[in-house]
Amino acid sequence: MPRPEQSSQPRLAPGCRWGTQDEQQVVLFPEGMIRVQGTGQNILELCDGQRTVQDIVATLSERYGAADPVKITEDVSSFLEVLQRKRIVDY
Amino acid sequence: MIPNPLALIAEVTHRCPLHCVYCSNPLQLVATKAELSTEEWARVFQEANRLGVLHLHLTGGEPAARADLEELIAGARQAGLYTNLITSGLGISEARLSKLVDAGLDHIQLSFQDSRDEPAKWIAGAKGHAYKVALAEKIRQLPVAFTVNLVVHRQNLDHIEEMIEFIEQLQPERVEIAHAQYYGWALKNRDTLLPTPQQLENCTRAVEKAQVRLAGKVRIDSVVPDYYARYPKACMGGWGRRLMLIDPSGHALPCHAAGVIPGMQFDNVSEHSLEWIWQESAAFQRFRGEEWMPEPCKSCDRRTEDFGGCRCQALLLTGDANATDPVCSLSPDHHLIETARAAANSDAAQVSWSYRTNAG
Repeated sequence: MPRPEQSSQPRLAPGCRWGTQDEQQVVLFPEGMIRVQGTGQNILELCDGQRTVQDIVATLSERYGAADPVKITEDVSSFLEVLQRKRIVDY
Repeated sequence: MIPNPLALIAEVTHRCPLHCVYCSNPLQLVATKAELSTEEWARVFQEANRLGVLHLHLTGGEPAARADLEELIAGARQAGLYTNLITSGLGISEARLSKLVDAGLDHIQLSFQDSRDEPAKWIAGAKGHAYKVALAEKIRQLPVAFTVNLVVHRQNLDHIEEMIEFIEQLQPERVEIAHAQYYGWALKNRDTLLPTPQQLENCTRAVEKAQVRLAGKVRIDSVVPDYYARYPKACMGGWGRRLMLIDPSGHALPCHAAGVIPGMQFDNVSEHSLEWIWQESAAFQRFRGEEWMPEPCKSCDRRTEDFGGCRCQALLLTGDANATDPVCSLSPDHHLIETARAAANSDAAQVSWSYRTNAG
């Protein structure tokens, strides 16, 4: 599976969902859970199956003002690719 | 303070339509009339959530043999648990499958015995293969995580590539290639099930190839069987460290097979809270930490990784639950494993299964 494209619409994979542990946000999946904080959490929360990668990057760029969109696209794509390989995200 | 358990394994029944020769259930099965009620399980799930448990694994026997499986799943979801159903698929119609998912099921782990109908029937002692294949197709159409579990052993490893390709067609997100583990029923059938070193090598190569080919599509997990490993596995992530298992009648065990250890008393969820059982009960403290360890474990650097291996295996093979797991190459009893491997390597072994039975 290649990296997501600009037009990909990432979402949590079937059977992967948000939960809480010790009042922290986690993503639950079959083998366990991951704690997501900061940027990772911001990205994942935008992965609703509707927004495209381009939309997500635009939203994050706006949120972080001066940040370089090319760098953000790179970060978002590699983050999603890692989670896709773990079968936590689909796009 | 002992850290919370991460997962609860609920053996909701020991009834099963299959009779697999490597079943992980104890030889002494719990009878139907002793099973916990729907309400009792729902309470256990609530307690588990309060104890910090995130994942619930509903297993058996065949959990679908319980008429109230939908309610059990709803109860688990209500308690905030991530719910996994470990099933043979038998007893789950298309309509019932939808109900299970609607009730909040997050993940289905469907077991297969083989890629072929006849050998699957031979291992399971019952028909069911074609039904499972049809069910897999239905599962794939629903919003639920799907894992296929395949138990491998000497009788099917010669066509491991074919089995992986077969599973790929079913389109799960995950595959678990599980080598049979030699406790209850599998220990009775060990001479016929234990793979040869050649088979194991082929299997490892086939799995690695498939992992590359299916990267991003299907995640494949496989572990070297402990009879061929150099060091033991961290059984259950260590005794009383990560997991709690509740048997059909409500007894809480640190491990599936712990019932074989003489002198152990397992407390029941109808008499004690899960928290008390986890923190205080004698059974969960018995092999927690390092106090109980013999040499060579006591002074071994790996003791914090494998915790001395499996207590049940130590008991079953050496007669002493305190012994170092004999699969460890450093164990003074390691010759027991070498002997078992040699027996598997001789072609003399006759196939005469002890099929798993059912309790009354």
